Amino acid sequence: MRSPQFIYSTTFHWALTVAAVLAVFVTLLFGFIYWNTDKYLVARSDSMIAGIVNIIAELPEERRLPAINQHLKEDSRSVQYAGLFDADGHRLGGNLEQMPPKLKLNDSAQSVPVVRMLRDGHEQDRVIRAIAKRLPNGNLLVMGRQVDEANKISHIVGLAVALGLLPGFCLCLLAGAWLSVRAQRRVEEVNQRVQRIVAGDLRERLPYRSVDEPFSKLAIIVNGMLDKMEAMIHALAGVGNDIAHDVRTPLTRARLTLERGRTNATTLEQLQTVVDRSITGIDQALTIVTALLRLAEIENSRRSAGFGEVALDAMLDEVRDIYEPIAENKKITLHLQAPQRLTVRGDRDLLVEAVANLVDNAIKFTPEGGKVGIELLRGQGAAIVRVTDTGCGISAQERDAVQRRFYRSDKIRNTPGVGLGLNLVAAIVKLHGFKLTIFSGPGCRVEIVCPDGPEWTQVVQTSTRRGSIPEPLGTVVAGS
Amino acid sequence: MAKLLLIEDDKETAEEITAELADCGFTVEWASNGIEGLDKARSLRPDAMIVDRLLPGMDGLTVIEALRKDQVRTPVLVLSALGAVDDRVRGLRMGGDDYLTKPFAFVELIARIEALLRRPAESRDRMLRAGPLEIDLIERTVKRGNREIDLLPREFRLLEYMMQRSDQLLTRAMLLEEVWNYKFVPATNLVDVHMGRLRHKVDGPGDIPMIHSVRGTGFILRTGLGQ
Repeated sequence: MRSPQFIYSTTFHWALTVAAVLAVFVTLLFGFIYWNTDKYLVARSDSMIAGIVNIIAELPEERRLPAINQHLKEDSRSVQYAGLFDADGHRLGGNLEQMPPKLKLNDSAQSVPVVRMLRDGHEQDRVIRAIAKRLPNGNLLVMGRQVDEANKISHIVGLAVALGLLPGFCLCLLAGAWLSVRAQRRVEEVNQRVQRIVAGDLRERLPYRSVDEPFSKLAIIVNGMLDKMEAMIHALAGVGNDIAHDVRTPLTRARLTLERGRTNATTLEQLQTVVDRSITGIDQALTIVTALLRLAEIENSRRSAGFGEVALDAMLDEVRDIYEPIAENKKITLHLQAPQRLTVRGDRDLLVEAVANLVDNAIKFTPEGGKVGIELLRGQGAAIVRVTDTGCGISAQERDAVQRRFYRSDKIRNTPGVGLGLNLVAAIVKLHGFKLTIFSGPGCRVEIVCPDGPEWTQVVQTSTRRGSIPEPLGTVVAGS
Repeated sequence: MAKLLLIEDDKETAEEITAELADCGFTVEWASNGIEGLDKARSLRPDAMIVDRLLPGMDGLTVIEALRKDQVRTPVLVLSALGAVDDRVRGLRMGGDDYLTKPFAFVELIARIEALLRRPAESRDRMLRAGPLEIDLIERTVKRGNREIDLLPREFRLLEYMMQRSDQLLTRAMLLEEVWNYKFVPATNLVDVHMGRLRHKVDGPGDIPMIHSVRGTGFILRTGLGQ
């Protein structure tokens, strides 16, 4: 026969343990009550015996026996014992057949076995509390009392234990079994949903009831995670489509050119033109693939082995150096303002790539006669690299879109590019635990905020808002 | 004529490369796996080698490592479909002299092979000369004939690099890697703009042009004036 499943569950084992501990505790408690009550009753009885012994001992000799008899007569529950013996131990009166042999003559109460004669002539063995006292005339007075209350109490206590403990114990077990069955049922329920998710139903969520129950709390947390993952998977699928589209376009062009050229080209020169155009198309597709691989490489990178101290001011100077002629060609003023030496921990090559990308973008999207500025600032606990331009800017509607892969604003459709630049910057910034912020306004302002110190790898959740600076439009937060 | 060893497992690629290199006047030996490649490298003593990274039998980098252990200093161009920067760095650290990502243009391959074969000898010379051009590496001054040319630091570095490799085709990628230390290809045609400025200063009005662009590929500093 198979035992029910819940027997093996931890919940049930815990319930069993708790029940056992409860049983021991209750037993000890009742034991304590019993023991203390018993002690109290014995002490009370002892003092009563002592009182009677003294009273009888004080009486004149001839009145002792009547007093004893009177005392026994008044004992309706027949718990009293008394005996008067002469110096030789012969019985003079009372209901004790003989002097209890183990009773010591020391005026203190003791437990001794005695034999009592009942009124109907029978004898009865009992252990009682008794005091023996030698009277001035040499006689021995024995007074005793049977403390049968202790038995009664033990009986009551036992009953109480049985009545209280057994149902309690059973209740514990039942609760344990119920809880574990319930937990198992919920786990099974969750498992079924999870299996559905694993099978591909990404919209499935875990069930939950009230908010204050741990299981539901957990379910809510997991659901939150599932929401995020679903969004990410959809985004990824979207990216896949974008990639397919962006790679296909130049390849299609190349293919068409080749196909048409094969039929139509009559001279070597014509054929060469066709081939050249095809190669350009293929190269374009390759550029996209390369850029994507690079992006994937940075995004998946966990490395910080190549990290070192990077002097931002010198690095920016180098970027300025590289881009100055390009800006000049376009009659754009490229201005660098890096008055102080600031260093961060990072991969120098990647940081150059990020800033170069920003500057490249800025120059590309700024019309002739405009201005592009590179600034190095000291913010609150952070070094800030800011790239500004007087170009068309990034509107609020486009703030998130610009960080999407392949996004190219309609305003710049005719500018060459792949549409992965900001993506790459965002990936590099994220890898470093820095923050990329894009501001709107006249022109465009992009900032890379590099927090100082050992916390540079930590997640930066709050965007620093300062005075007159407008709300950041899009923010890439490390680790988010 | 220079003798090259190509270690490449894909037969079609190998045939194309061999044919192209032969057209340029190189003698090419082909090995299709790492072990055969290592044997041929030891026995044939080629002037330069082109080694694919992923090879059956023995990894391309292992081949290079083994050769370097034998004190064989033959220049090696590593070919790889793995373009990642880390990978490239590893390839160079293992003893490769240059690294080219697949797919590549033949001109790029040829230019790099030429560069490897004609690597400038380590020179302690203070002066560098190419035709009428003369630069002082310590004073950082440039003269063309008697005319002093004032160059920005970056332009100076570019000219220095080109003079060390005069009459060689230098592709944009090579210049980006070597002069600008760029590990990535920027969106803008950086090299052309810088080269344009340098050319403007070096080839003055009335001078015979020395800096020539090769369409779609790169640049050459020609010393043999009148060619």
